[in-house]
Amino acid sequence: MIKSGSFYFSKSHEWVGMDSNNKYHIGISDFAQSELGDVVYVSLPEAGKTYKKDDKIGEIESVKSVSEIYAPVELKVISVNSKLNDTPELINQDPNGAGFIAEVEVSNDFDTEGLMDESAYKTFIDSSHHE
Amino acid sequence: MDAAESKKTPLYDEHAKMGAKIVSFAGFYMPLYYKSIIEEHLNVRNNSGIFDISHMGEITIKGKDASAFVDYVFTADVSKISQGEIVYSLILNEKGGIIDDVTVFKFSGEEYMVVVNAANTRKDFAWIQHIQTEFQKKGKDVSAENISDGIGLLSVQGPKSRDLIYPLISDIVKIGKCGLFDFNFKPKNIKDLKHFEFGCAEFKDVNVEALLSRSGYTGEFGFEIFIPAEKTAILWNYLLKNSHLSNLLPVGLGARDTLRFEAALPLYGHELDETINPYDAGLEKYLSGAKDFIGKEALKNIKNKEKRLIFFKLSGKQIPRHSQRILDENLKPIGCIASGTYSPSNKFPIGSAYISDGGVDVSFLKNFFIDIRGNFEKAEVVSPPFHRNFKAGSLK
Repeated sequence: MIKSGSFYFSKSHEWVGMDSNNKYHIGISDFAQSELGDVVYVSLPEAGKTYKKDDKIGEIESVKSVSEIYAPVELKVISVNSKLNDTPELINQDPNGAGFIAEVEVSNDFDTEGLMDESAYKTFIDSSHHE
Repeated sequence: MDAAESKKTPLYDEHAKMGAKIVSFAGFYMPLYYKSIIEEHLNVRNNSGIFDISHMGEITIKGKDASAFVDYVFTADVSKISQGEIVYSLILNEKGGIIDDVTVFKFSGEEYMVVVNAANTRKDFAWIQHIQTEFQKKGKDVSAENISDGIGLLSVQGPKSRDLIYPLISDIVKIGKCGLFDFNFKPKNIKDLKHFEFGCAEFKDVNVEALLSRSGYTGEFGFEIFIPAEKTAILWNYLLKNSHLSNLLPVGLGARDTLRFEAALPLYGHELDETINPYDAGLEKYLSGAKDFIGKEALKNIKNKEKRLIFFKLSGKQIPRHSQRILDENLKPIGCIASGTYSPSNKFPIGSAYISDGGVDVSFLKNFFIDIRGNFEKAEVVSPPFHRNFKAGSLK
């Protein structure tokens, strides 16, 4: 079970987090958005659909590149962040907040195995991506 | 090219210090963007931007027969331009395929400088040396030198770039040395330069002498500044220190690409390569009718265009990318994307493509599709450039 207000990250740079109302959201990390650059299009997952961990759930296009979004945990999409249709730049501006991808349902005691908390994720990106 | 083999421009440390996203491009570590491609792009359209383009190649061609040589190697009428002028030209192989697109600077009838694409510097120089040997065997006096490593090249582009450059320079209008170059003609004042002319000036305070040309790759008013490699960082920092004069921002290769594409300027490796001839690319106006040049004979046999370059915009939001397929309204493949990007000035995706049937009637192509990873996105043919007076419905 994850703690309210905290974020858990996948190796493919998605996060899952629980807000103060015990609602779960998913998105991409600040590191991921900074690597992508200006986001100009987001293909969002389908509301109501269930995805297994590591399933492809969408795509993010920046001016220079396109990358896939994977489910950081097994999840069911409750609703998507439809603001991203007209203002995809929210992902650059506030990747952990207004630029979230979807509100999701996860099984109660979901498995955080294979996910990293914020400090472990920071170590992960520092060690694998410094130039 | 392997990233491990990439070279650094004289400004690599400056880019890294500024937190640029660095990528390997054409054999060099280059800044892709500093903060945002879109912001950098729009700032060039509205104010001004400075680019490190030191990766580009420079080849000098000197000798009593230099004029005959450049007229043979390049497709345009190079020797006919005046001293202090620049001409855009192609280099073709014997089959008429495009080896590179370049600009040629004329210092005199016996001295020229060719500015080439970074990715092609070695290939172009080898080609030029090969032709040089043929000339020398016939007793002609011509010698080519690749001076790329010794030159730093900055580009200042945008409507306000004059507000940055003019107050910071003093003109040098006499015959003689100009930094690395030797001017054997009296250059114009920088303010009097027309597009595709060059002169000489010294940047005050830092005492850097530079060759300045009124040229660029953005579709905007601007300058390209040639200086000794070791002075590049001094001048870069000096210009950025004066950024308030023109709302200057550093601009990376990402915006360099979106800017050039909105202006419909070709990019080697996208619109141009050795399988494409000048007719395919719509560049026949750079073929001289008045002289012989390499590839001219082969072009005579090309009766029809083999392919046709078109420009389009998309109604959806997905970005077309190089080499994706173009489909007609019956979903039959008819060509491939040359360039595709997001247009920051228009806020929609745009692209160019080669249609395999050069005789295609473009009016039949009113609506077609691009296969973007399995999604068939609707596209519409438009007339570039994309950055001037571009309003929906106004382009046919």
